[in-house]
Amino acid sequence: MKNIVIGRFVPGKGFLYRMDPRTKIIALVFLMASAFIIRDFTTMFVAVGLLVALLFVGRINIIRVFSGLRPLMYLLAFTFIFQLLFNTQGDLVASWELHYSPLNILAVTMLVVTWFFVRRRLPFKFFFFIATFVGVIALFATLRLGPAFATGTLNIHQNAIETGFFIVMRLLVIVTLSTILTLTTKPTDLNLGLESVMSPLKVFRIRTEEMAMIISISLRYIPTLLDEANKIMLAQASRGVDFSEGKFKDKIMQIVSLLVPMFIISFKRSDELANAMEARSFVPGQPRTRLHQLTWGFADTVALVVSLLVLTAVITSRVVM
Amino acid sequence: MRIIDIENLSFHYRAGTPVLEDITLHVDKGEWITILGHNGSGKSTLSKLLVGLLRAKKGTIKVGGLELSENTVYDIRKKIGIVFQNPDNQFVGVTVRDDIAFGLENLQIPRDTMIERIEQYARKVDMADYLNKEPHNLSGGQKQRVAIAGILAMETDIIIFDEATSMLDPKGRNTILSMMKQLNDEGVTVINITHDMKESLYGDRIVVLKNGKIIKDDKTDAVLKDQEILEKSNLEMLLPLRVLRLLESENVKDEKVRSYLWQLSLTG
Ligand SMILES: Nc1ncnc2c1ncn2[C@@H]1O[C@H](COP(=O)(O)OP(=O)(O)OP(=O)(O)O)[C@@H](O)[C@H]1O
Ligand SMILES: [Mg+2]
Repeated sequence: MKNIVIGRFVPGKGFLYRMDPRTKIIALVFLMASAFIIRDFTTMFVAVGLLVALLFVGRINIIRVFSGLRPLMYLLAFTFIFQLLFNTQGDLVASWELHYSPLNILAVTMLVVTWFFVRRRLPFKFFFFIATFVGVIALFATLRLGPAFATGTLNIHQNAIETGFFIVMRLLVIVTLSTILTLTTKPTDLNLGLESVMSPLKVFRIRTEEMAMIISISLRYIPTLLDEANKIMLAQASRGVDFSEGKFKDKIMQIVSLLVPMFIISFKRSDELANAMEARSFVPGQPRTRLHQLTWGFADTVALVVSLLVLTAVITSRVVM
Repeated sequence: MRIIDIENLSFHYRAGTPVLEDITLHVDKGEWITILGHNGSGKSTLSKLLVGLLRAKKGTIKVGGLELSENTVYDIRKKIGIVFQNPDNQFVGVTVRDDIAFGLENLQIPRDTMIERIEQYARKVDMADYLNKEPHNLSGGQKQRVAIAGILAMETDIIIFDEATSMLDPKGRNTILSMMKQLNDEGVTVINITHDMKESLYGDRIVVLKNGKIIKDDKTDAVLKDQEILEKSNLEMLLPLRVLRLLESENVKDEKVRSYLWQLSLTG
C-alpha cells in the first residue's frame, strides 16, 4: 500500500537537493513550457540530452526515475500506436498488405495465447506486451499461409510518426522533470515553495496560506490513513472478507466495506484535529510566524537564468525555423 | 486569585440528553485540580467548553477575568493549553519539530525564540532526538509527549491534561508528572483529567463528575478517602488508604502508622 505515493522524496546529495524549492518550481514550469514548444527533432534530441545530463550532474537515482515512468509506459505506447494506425496525414512512409486467412489467424492466436500464459512469469512485462502487439501485426503483414478471406492495408504516414514521437517525448520529459522535483524536494519544502510561488494570487483573494495548510495536513495524514486502511482490511479479512479474489460484485462489496469505515474514521479524525488546531490558537486567515524559511542562494539565480535561457532559446528556434 | 470561574454551566449535544448540568467551579491561580469521573461523565466536554470549542447552553465561563464570548475566545485560548486524549488526532506538523512549532507560529512568536523553545521543550519531554521524525514513525506514547511539548512550549497560564498520561509507560508517566509538578511550582495552573488515583495525589483538589454533575469538590485527601464517592464514579481506593480506613474503623489510632500509610499511598 505504501508504494502508492509515487515520486516520493528520497534523501540524497547533489546540488538539486540544496536548491530553493521556489527555484525548482519556477524552473520546472519554464522547462515544461519549453518541452511543449519544441517542434523539431534536433532540438528535441538536444533537450533530452540536456535532461539526461541534468540527471547525472544532479546525481539523481536513475532507477527511481524509471520506476516513476513505468506506470506511464502503457499510455505512451498506446498513444504512439494509435497515432501510427489512425493518423493519415502527411506523406506515406510505409505500407503493408495484411493477409487475413484462417491459418494466419491460427498463428496469431497461438502467439497471443503463448503470451497470455507466460506473461505472469516474464520480467519486463511491458516490453513483451509491446513485442506481442507488434508481432501480431507483423504476422498478418508477412505470413501468407493459405487463401485469405479478406485483406487490409496498414499505411504509416509521416505525421503519424512525428506527432507520436513528440507526444511521447513531451510526456517523458514532463514526467521526468516533475519526478526530479519530487525526488529532491521534501514535501514540506515543496509545499512552502508552492505557497510562496502562488502568493501573488492573493491579489485575486485566493487564500494561498490556507491551501498550503490543507496540503501540509493531507501530507501528514496520508501514511496514517494508509495504516488505517490496512487495519480495516485486516479486521474485515478476519470477518471473512477476501480482498484478493472475487467477482466484480464481490469486489464492489469489498471496496464498500473498506470505504465506509474509512470515511467515518476520517471525519472523526478531522473533527478532533480541527479542535486541537483551534485550541492551539490557530485562526484561519490570521497572520502567523514561520519556523521554516526559504533561503535564496546564488545557485538559485543561476538555475533560474539557465532555465529561462532554455525557454528563450526554444522560442527563438521555433520562430526562426 | 481566581483564574477560572464557571457558573451554572449546562451543555448538551442533543436536546434531551444533558451532558453537563449546572456546573459551578472555581479555580485559583497556581492551583492543581484533578477531575475524576467515569467514562462519558463529561470531562472532555468540560475542557472543550472552557476554550470555546463548544458553546455552553446555559451559564458563564470566566478565564482570567475575561468572560468567554465570541469576542474574547481567541484571547482566552492564548491563556489555556489543552493536551487532548488521542495523540494521533492532534499531531498537526509533518515532523515533531513542525508540530511543536505549530502553536508558536499561531501565537506569532519570533522565529529565534521559536527555535529555542522547540529545543527546550523537546528536551523536557525527552524527545530531543526525534525532532526530525514523522508521526507515523513514533509510538503512541512518543506522540503524546510531542503533544505535551507542543502545549508546554506555548507557555500558557493554564494547562489542561485530558488523560494525557494514559498512553505512557510508568517511567514516562512519572517524568511527565514531575514535569507537571515543576510547572505548577512555577505558577502554572494545572487541570488534570485522569482515571488514575495515584496521579490525583499530586493535586490540591479533586472534582468528581458523575453523569454531568459535580458530586464532590474537596481537598485531595478528603476525596481519596471517601469510599462512597469513589464507588459512585467507578473508582477504586488506593490500597494503603483502604488499610487506613480499616484501621480507623477498628479504632486503631496510631499516628505513626497513619502517616506511614499516607506516605505510602503517595509514593507507592
Ligand atoms: N461530538 C459528540 N456528539 C454527541 N455526543 C457526544 C459527543 N462527544 C461526546 N458525546 C457524549 O457526551 C458524553 C460525555 O462525553 P465526554 O467525552 O465529555 O466524556 P469523558 O468524561 O471525557 O469520557 P472519557 O473518560 O471516556 O474520556 C458522552 O455520553 C458522549 O457519548
Ligand atoms: Mg474524555
